[in-house]
Amino acid sequence: MGWLVLVFDGLLAAALIWLAWQATHTPGLFRSVISFIIFGLLMALAWVRLDAPDIALAEAAIGAGATGALLLSALGRLVATHEEGAPWQERRDLYFWIPAGGALLGLLTLAAWMLPSPGLGEQVQDALPESGVQNPVTAVLLNFRALDTLLEIGVLLLAAIAIWSLGRMPLPSAPAVRSPALPALGRLLFPMFVLVSAYLLWRGSHAPGGAFPAGAVMGAGGILTILAGAQPWLTGSVHGPWRMLLSLGFAAMLALALGVMALGQPFFAYPPGLAGLIVLALELAAGLSIAMSLVALYLAGQPPDHWEGEARGE
Amino acid sequence: MSQANTLMAVLVGVPLVGAIIAFVYPRLAVSITAVCAGVMVAAAAGLTRLVLSSGVLRQDVGGWAAPLGIGWQVDGLSAGLLLLTAAVGAAGAAHRAFEALEQPFFWPLWLFLWGALNVLFLSADLFNLYVALEVLSLAAVALIAMAGGGALPAAWRYLLASMLGSTVYLLGVALLYGRYGALDIALIADALETDLPSALAAALITLGLLLKAAVFPLHFWLPSAHGRAPAAVSAALSAVVVAAAWYLLVRLWFAPFGAFQGNGVGVLFGLLGAAAMVWGGLLALVQHRLKMLIAYSTVSQFGFGLLLLPLAGGVGAELAWRGAVVIVLSHGLAKASLFLAVGGIARSQGHDRLDAVGGFGSGGVLPWLALVLAAASLLGVPPTGGFAGKWWLLQGALAEGAWLWVLAILLGTLFTAAYLSRLLAVLLRPAQRGPQTGRPSPLTALPGFVLALMACGLGLALPALERLLSSALVAGGLP
Repeated sequence: MGWLVLVFDGLLAAALIWLAWQATHTPGLFRSVISFIIFGLLMALAWVRLDAPDIALAEAAIGAGATGALLLSALGRLVATHEEGAPWQERRDLYFWIPAGGALLGLLTLAAWMLPSPGLGEQVQDALPESGVQNPVTAVLLNFRALDTLLEIGVLLLAAIAIWSLGRMPLPSAPAVRSPALPALGRLLFPMFVLVSAYLLWRGSHAPGGAFPAGAVMGAGGILTILAGAQPWLTGSVHGPWRMLLSLGFAAMLALALGVMALGQPFFAYPPGLAGLIVLALELAAGLSIAMSLVALYLAGQPPDHWEGEARGE
Repeated sequence: MSQANTLMAVLVGVPLVGAIIAFVYPRLAVSITAVCAGVMVAAAAGLTRLVLSSGVLRQDVGGWAAPLGIGWQVDGLSAGLLLLTAAVGAAGAAHRAFEALEQPFFWPLWLFLWGALNVLFLSADLFNLYVALEVLSLAAVALIAMAGGGALPAAWRYLLASMLGSTVYLLGVALLYGRYGALDIALIADALETDLPSALAAALITLGLLLKAAVFPLHFWLPSAHGRAPAAVSAALSAVVVAAAWYLLVRLWFAPFGAFQGNGVGVLFGLLGAAAMVWGGLLALVQHRLKMLIAYSTVSQFGFGLLLLPLAGGVGAELAWRGAVVIVLSHGLAKASLFLAVGGIARSQGHDRLDAVGGFGSGGVLPWLALVLAAASLLGVPPTGGFAGKWWLLQGALAEGAWLWVLAILLGTLFTAAYLSRLLAVLLRPAQRGPQTGRPSPLTALPGFVLALMACGLGLALPALERLLSSALVAGGLP
């Protein structure tokens, strides 16, 4: 049994390196993108092998799903060029980069081999009862190191603002075959995504799950719905709910971090006894904002003040 | 709950809350930024006073002590940089508000940039610093891209360089965490051993930060990004964002990586610094646009800052420390002032070509006065802040008998004089009236002028600087 697992891990690692090479050095862009998506899926598998199901979920939903959809839609908007670029065999700079990359990889492997890997697992387990949750990952993300998570949620909001600052969203490209069934299917599927997200969110307090995977799954569902041709009901005008929903997670975490100070607690220190409730509320707000940010990234620009056609009728 | 905790929470919380409000209610953006700026200047000043009266401040975020939680730490260096950030942030925002451009997304991005800088100067945790760097870079990229046109490729290049720098930095941090099970800088400093994982981590982290600090020969992204961004953004990038990467380099090479000093690493930093001074100076001499000249000057001026590392171990360490930090602070004030002044001049003339821009008084007198004062401080004319910094750094080098670095400082100053003289030669031309399209408010030049006055005034605050930068107020102590 042991050697079988070893063979599987070896194949997985080799496939990852091969796909990474394909994604960066294959001549056609379409093949690169497909290699990248498969790379994301196999990476998720690698995270499962490393006993990190939380990261695996996020990797599959964001690394393969959302990023893949983003890359494919960008590809569709690119003006078709027939310049393939020089094939990698003719690129001189690789004579430098391949040995340099190989040397770095060798050194990193050697260094990683020497690591005692003490980690902080034990300290986290010791402090877990005070954190308000039973899942150590959630405890680290939303209690012990909540400041990191605050800033990470901030990065998502910031990314959406940065994209909006670049201009309005490009007009959605009409699907080649207009099918009335697709939008309907999208609408039908979306509640399922919401259900899965809600389950992941609730699970987060005691088992792998939580705001990031939940938000990622819901965001992916939103993108799928848009891909199917459904138009979002949210408008980009100042009075639309986009801006509020995008800021919700970040605002909730900040309000809490500063709000506890009014109770005499230090910055971000949860009042004893309320930690569990606070973590759940923050997860809910953060999950919603993560989902909205992913959809906003996919729209690639500030949404219009009014949507044409069906959305206005609803 | 202590006063220090409140002030630190204000420095982090206020700009981020402001960013949300400015995004959700764009109509309130300018007024909310003004309120935030006022609060942050006061908080940075209050924190500096506190450091002066009670020494290095340390605070556990969320009540969780390191290694489990994240620590905030303020010493003389970080207090100085927090003050610089507040000054440049407020002046840049005021400049932008007077320009009255219709770009509502500028304000949340500006406040995000400001908040990220504050987190960076407070945090003592390597991973938290990585997240702060991420926020900082993303906000900076979006702000550069706001200028549109030629700024878009520059912003794109900056994004790629910055992401590469962050990734390499994170790789190093992961190695350190794997090796020591801690992310707190002080805890790692106590535990550090000179083995392969630590050495590799030090090399990777340093490489990432050198890329972000645009140290020669990794400066390729800086001039176009800083030269093409909107004036207020160039000011913040050149004055504080580059200084933030320099700050982390110094912080890490003084405490945890100090163990690797002495194997010629310090000399390597010194040589990089000297090369940056010469190369940046040479290229500043051949630029055709005012903003590009000032951008290359940033590459050259941070060479002085790097000379601190080879001088850190010897008898002149305290003088060199004080000198280098004052150079970075006064460079920040002067450079921000130059960018704001040139931004105003370029707006009134419609371009910033060195051969065609009008002389003293074109587009108002105030930007030209700011230009002269800031140039004086950058060059190091007594009694400006630039003079005090260079004097102390030179004294430190002389005390250690490090003739190579004495020579480098003199050469760097010579180059500074040469390229600034190109700037000042413009002054003697007759004033020109540019195309009078969209006459900017005369108030636009005021923030840049105030910064120039501060750069010069820094030289008069020597006793306070000496106290703030004394070895007793260095977290982890001088090596």
